Amino acid sequence: MGRKFLTTTLIIIGLAVLWVPPVAAEEPVRVAILTDMSGPYAGICASNVDAVKMAIEDFGGMLLGNKIEFYYRDHHCKPDIANERAKELYERERVDIIIDVPNSAAGLAVSEQARLHKRLFISVGSGTTEHSGSKCNRYTFDWAYNDYMLATSVGLWGADNLGKKWYTITADYAWGHDLFKNFTAALKKKGGILLGNDNVALGTADFTPYLLKAKRAKPEVLVLLNAGKDANNATKQAVEFGLKKEMKIIHALIFVPSIRAVGPEVYADDYVAGAWYWKVDTPGAREFADRWLKKFGHRPNWMNPANYSATLQYLRAVKRAGTKDPKAVIKQLEDHTFGDLFANPGYIRPEDHMQVGKAYIFRAKRPEEIKEKDDCFEIVGTIPPEQAYMDPKKTGCRMGGF
Amino acid sequence: MSQYLITQLLNGLIVGSLYILLSMGLTIIFGMLGIVNFAHGALYMLGAYAAYTVVGVLSGNFLIAILVVPLAIGLIGALLETTLLRRLYRVEPFYNLLLTFGLMLVIQDAVRIGYGPEGEPFNIPGALLGAVNLGITYYPKYRLFIFAITVLCSVGLILFLERTKVGAIIRAGTEDSDMVDALGIDIGKVFTFVFGIGAALAGLAGVLAAPIQNVEPAMGMNFLVETFVVVVIGGMGSIIGSIIAGLIIGETLTIGVLIWPPMATTLIYIFMAFILLIRPRGLFGRAEFLD
Repeated sequence: MGRKFLTTTLIIIGLAVLWVPPVAAEEPVRVAILTDMSGPYAGICASNVDAVKMAIEDFGGMLLGNKIEFYYRDHHCKPDIANERAKELYERERVDIIIDVPNSAAGLAVSEQARLHKRLFISVGSGTTEHSGSKCNRYTFDWAYNDYMLATSVGLWGADNLGKKWYTITADYAWGHDLFKNFTAALKKKGGILLGNDNVALGTADFTPYLLKAKRAKPEVLVLLNAGKDANNATKQAVEFGLKKEMKIIHALIFVPSIRAVGPEVYADDYVAGAWYWKVDTPGAREFADRWLKKFGHRPNWMNPANYSATLQYLRAVKRAGTKDPKAVIKQLEDHTFGDLFANPGYIRPEDHMQVGKAYIFRAKRPEEIKEKDDCFEIVGTIPPEQAYMDPKKTGCRMGGF
Repeated sequence: MSQYLITQLLNGLIVGSLYILLSMGLTIIFGMLGIVNFAHGALYMLGAYAAYTVVGVLSGNFLIAILVVPLAIGLIGALLETTLLRRLYRVEPFYNLLLTFGLMLVIQDAVRIGYGPEGEPFNIPGALLGAVNLGITYYPKYRLFIFAITVLCSVGLILFLERTKVGAIIRAGTEDSDMVDALGIDIGKVFTFVFGIGAALAGLAGVLAAPIQNVEPAMGMNFLVETFVVVVIGGMGSIIGSIIAGLIIGETLTIGVLIWPPMATTLIYIFMAFILLIRPRGLFGRAEFLD
């Protein structure tokens, strides 16, 4: 063979190597959390950012050959901001999933964006039953709890154990009204009576006129259908006016940060439902709580492991599917039973995309009963998922296609 | 009258008291300096947090907090005036409005970053716990205490403005600050002093509110807009106006809940709109303000 021939061959081979287009790398999996980092529920929800981050790190940080990308955004608990951010995240950052979104109106807005953009949304923070009811869609999942679970568990238990004559004070927005509907349904089921209700604007500082009205009605149980700042103010003032000497108080949603914010004397002997507590016997829960304590100086509230769980189960579903294509991942999540530090077992219902698990009834401890940091609750009852959640055939969800 | 109604009316009085303290401060700041102080709610919140710091963190007692905190917030106010606000007197008032709005956001976020968003526990001081037998009804001791302090401050402020030399200067400055300046009085110092007093009153309201409300970074927002309503209804620059309007608003908000709950907060805005239509200067305001 001539040298010319060798050179030409080498040049041709060289060009061929350069000519071959690079193998198209699959895009990285992009996980976003959209939550309240500076609004009324920030004390409870801002830490969810750390929970999602921790879940990604614990998973290994890598998925399908790429580093998992993590985004976090603040919607200040406002539906219009949530809508904007969700749109941006799906369009500009091209995230594959948005997690959390407290505030029911905000959650519903993001759910619609998920449906329009055909990407996933796992709602953890917002409690509306519409996520798994009339407004359900194939791309939205509801994790950890909803108003039906909160109301029904503590409602049924409360009507049996605390009293059947109720007075309710309701936060005047989507979530409050949804809670009111579910709580009164639970009360009715047990043959109780509603003596009265007041709707109070979100962010009200002075609950005294409503509390005095409630006191006058002489209920056995006062049900405060609000959370965060509003619950703090209402309960502080209820103690001030001596309501606790005359009735028991049930809350819709109370977390350890709220108890820290006003002091345990304020919430002592009140009742609330929840999906998890750091002392629960679910495997992995105590280790998670200890890690959290070491890292942040206090125990997690149950929204934290709920967000951790949603993230982890999503990442595992992507792994099982072998692709991040939403349809494939959704099919992996539906009808899936899992066990993690949040729910063991947890189950994702295909009919309405509700993640169901056990519900717990808590009594807030009196200051003298608190022996270690953040040990603010005593578990007084558990409700199995079949009772805590609505029959999937009755939710009004018509789960469509993609 | 039923015990229930009396208790509600008393509550309105107490809510009104906080509005009185807040609006007296806001109105003299506007009356004399022409500044619409959006940071007023933030100063109120700082008062509550300062009280928490004195009592909760430094283990002082509540009495010390009541004496020391308004002074501290007043000094902070004076500092803000000398370093920031006075630079914008020569330009349109709009600039100072933007500045105080910005200050409000900065102060709120600084507290949120420093203390956390959830809030701090603050309970009614032991000596003021319990209720007093008023004959017709029992009423919380602490709330009556708030009313007593408010009465003291209002009377004190009125006497100060009417009977002292400094008060006369301030009143004159409210009418015509250029003339006071021309008469050789250092109007700059008077301005600083007035802003300091306004801030101190807001801080005092914060200390008094801390035991009965959730002490958290955005707590000033609950009161800010309604305080402006009180000032507009009472008349900008008028102390008497603040007192009367504060009581009216406090009672309206409380009794409104009994009569027509969804409209309770809206009623005060309707009233404000009504006042603006028939007497824009406010109940006790001076006509010159509208120039």
